Amino acid sequence: MPSVEPRSSPKDPENPDENGQNVDVVFSPRFKSVAAMAGWDEETLLIASLVVEDTPDRESKYKKRSDIQFKTPPTNSRRKRRAQRRSPISIPASVLDLDEEETARKGTENEKNKSEIKASVNDEKKIGAKESPEQNTRVSRSSSALPCMDKLKEELSCAICLEICFEPSTTPCGHSFCKKCLRSAADKCGKRCPKCRQLISNGRSCTVNTVLWNTIQLLFPQEVEARKAAGALNGRETVCQSPETAFYDNLNRSTRASGVSIRDTNARRRGIILSQDEDDAASSALRSQRGVEGQNQTPERGVHRNVRNLSTRPSRVSSRDTRVTRRRGMLSQDEDAALALRLQREEFLEVFSGADAQPSRPLYSARANLRAMASRAVNLRIIGRHL
Amino acid sequence: MISGGRGGKSAPSASSWAVSASGKRIQREMAELNLDPPPDCSAGPKGDNLYHWVATILGPQGTPYEGGIYFLDITFPSDYPFKPPKVVFKTRIFHCNVDTAGVLSLDILKDSWSPALTITKVLLAIRAIFTNPDPSDSPLIPGIARLYLADRAKHDELAAEWTRRFAK
Repeated sequence: MPSVEPRSSPKDPENPDENGQNVDVVFSPRFKSVAAMAGWDEETLLIASLVVEDTPDRESKYKKRSDIQFKTPPTNSRRKRRAQRRSPISIPASVLDLDEEETARKGTENEKNKSEIKASVNDEKKIGAKESPEQNTRVSRSSSALPCMDKLKEELSCAICLEICFEPSTTPCGHSFCKKCLRSAADKCGKRCPKCRQLISNGRSCTVNTVLWNTIQLLFPQEVEARKAAGALNGRETVCQSPETAFYDNLNRSTRASGVSIRDTNARRRGIILSQDEDDAASSALRSQRGVEGQNQTPERGVHRNVRNLSTRPSRVSSRDTRVTRRRGMLSQDEDAALALRLQREEFLEVFSGADAQPSRPLYSARANLRAMASRAVNLRIIGRHL
Repeated sequence: MISGGRGGKSAPSASSWAVSASGKRIQREMAELNLDPPPDCSAGPKGDNLYHWVATILGPQGTPYEGGIYFLDITFPSDYPFKPPKVVFKTRIFHCNVDTAGVLSLDILKDSWSPALTITKVLLAIRAIFTNPDPSDSPLIPGIARLYLADRAKHDELAAEWTRRFAK
C-alpha cells in the first residue's frame, strides 16, 4: 500500500477525469505489471487507492480554500505557526481542522457534512480576513502579534549593544549577551559579567546558547536578518538578502559602474579591446579599488593595435556595450550615446590627422586616470559613510 | 579605508566594528531616553556629533539643590559601551564629590563601569549623589565632606546659597 501512495497523491480526486485511480478508469498497463510483480491484484489496488484518497482529498480542499482566501496564499506551515502564536484566534481554527478530518473519514458524500464544511469555510474566511491585514503590514506583525512582544524584545536584547541578542552567549551567572559583545566586554572590561559583576571563568570561549538563539530567530526574524545583513556588509560579503543590503549593494554597484564606464572609455581611446577574461580581471581589480593600476598594465600594446583594429572595433565595442549594460543593468542610455559620439570623433581624428593624434594620447589617458581616481575617491567616501 | 572615512568623527583609533557599534548603541540610548526619560533628567547630543552630549539634572526636591538646573557635558569614547563616558558638571555646585572644574567622582564612571550601564543609569546615579553625598570614600573636596559630616545644617545652607547663585 505505501508504494501506491505517491502515485495517487498528486491527483485531484474531486475530478474523476484526471484521477487515474478512480474506479472507472483502468490502471496503466505498466503500473499494473509493476503491481503484478509486487504480487498485487487489481482489486487490492483499487481498495488501496480508495483508502489513500482520503488524505489528498483533505489537502487539496485545504489548498483550494486558501486559494480563495488569500490572493497570495502563504504556505500552510507558516500559517499554522502564525496561528499558534496568536492563540485566541488559532483555537477555533484547529478545532475546525479536526472536524474536517472526521468528516473526510466518514464519507464525503454526506450532505450534512458538506454544509458543515461550508460553515467552517466561512468561519475560516472570517479568520483569514482578520489575519490578512496583519500579514500585509509586516512591520506591525512583530510588535502587535503578541501583546508582550515589546517586553520580550526588551528581555531578549543584549545589555551591551541594546539590540536583539545576536548569537547569544550565556554567562555562568545566567546573563545573556551577544557572543561578540560578551567577548569584547571580556577583552576590554575584564572578566566580569557586565550585569552582575560576577567573575566569568573563561570569557574567551563563549558558546552560543542554542535554545535562546533559535527562540530569538523564531520571534524576531526581521531583526536577526537585518543584523546578519549588516554583519555581511561589514565583512565585505554583500549578499542581497534584505532591502537594506540591496540598497547598499546597488549603491556600490552604481559607483562601481561609473568606474567601469570611465575605464571603458579609456580603453577605447587607446584601442585596447580586452578579451572577456581580461575585462573581468580588470573589473575585479577595480572592485578591489585598484582599477587604475590594473588598466595601466597594458598601455603600449593598445597604441600599436590602434590602427589595425579600427575596422573591427565598432562591432566588438557594441557587443561589449551590451555586456556592460547588462552587467550594470541601470546605466543611462545618455552615457552610452556619449561614448559612441566620442568614439566616432576619435575615429575621425585618427583618419584625418593620422600621426598627429599620437602626442595628445598621454594627455587623454592622464585625464582619464584623474577621473578614475576621482571616482575611486567618491567610491571610498560612500563606502566609508555607510559602514 | 573604513577608519579613514570615520576617523574624523571622534574615534581616534578603533576598529570599524567598534565605531559603528558605539554609534548604534548611542543612537539606541538616545531613542530610549526620548521614549521614557528618567525623572528630573534630560540628555541629548549637543549638535551633529553623536559622541558629545549635554545633559541637565534638576536639583531633587528636599535637598539644598532643589530648584537648581545643573548642566553636564557628556563625552562618549569611541569604544563606548566598553569604556565609561566622561561626565563633567558645567554648572558650579557645592558638593563634596564634585571639584571646582566640575569633575565628579563616581565609582561607576571609573573602575566600576560596566558595559551594561547606560546614560540613563549614570544620570540616575548622579542624581542619587545629590540626595546622598558620599563624604567617606576619598571625596574630591575634603573641606565640604568634613563640613557635611560635622555641621549638616551649615553645609545645606551653603549648598542652597550656591544653588541660588549659580544654578538658577
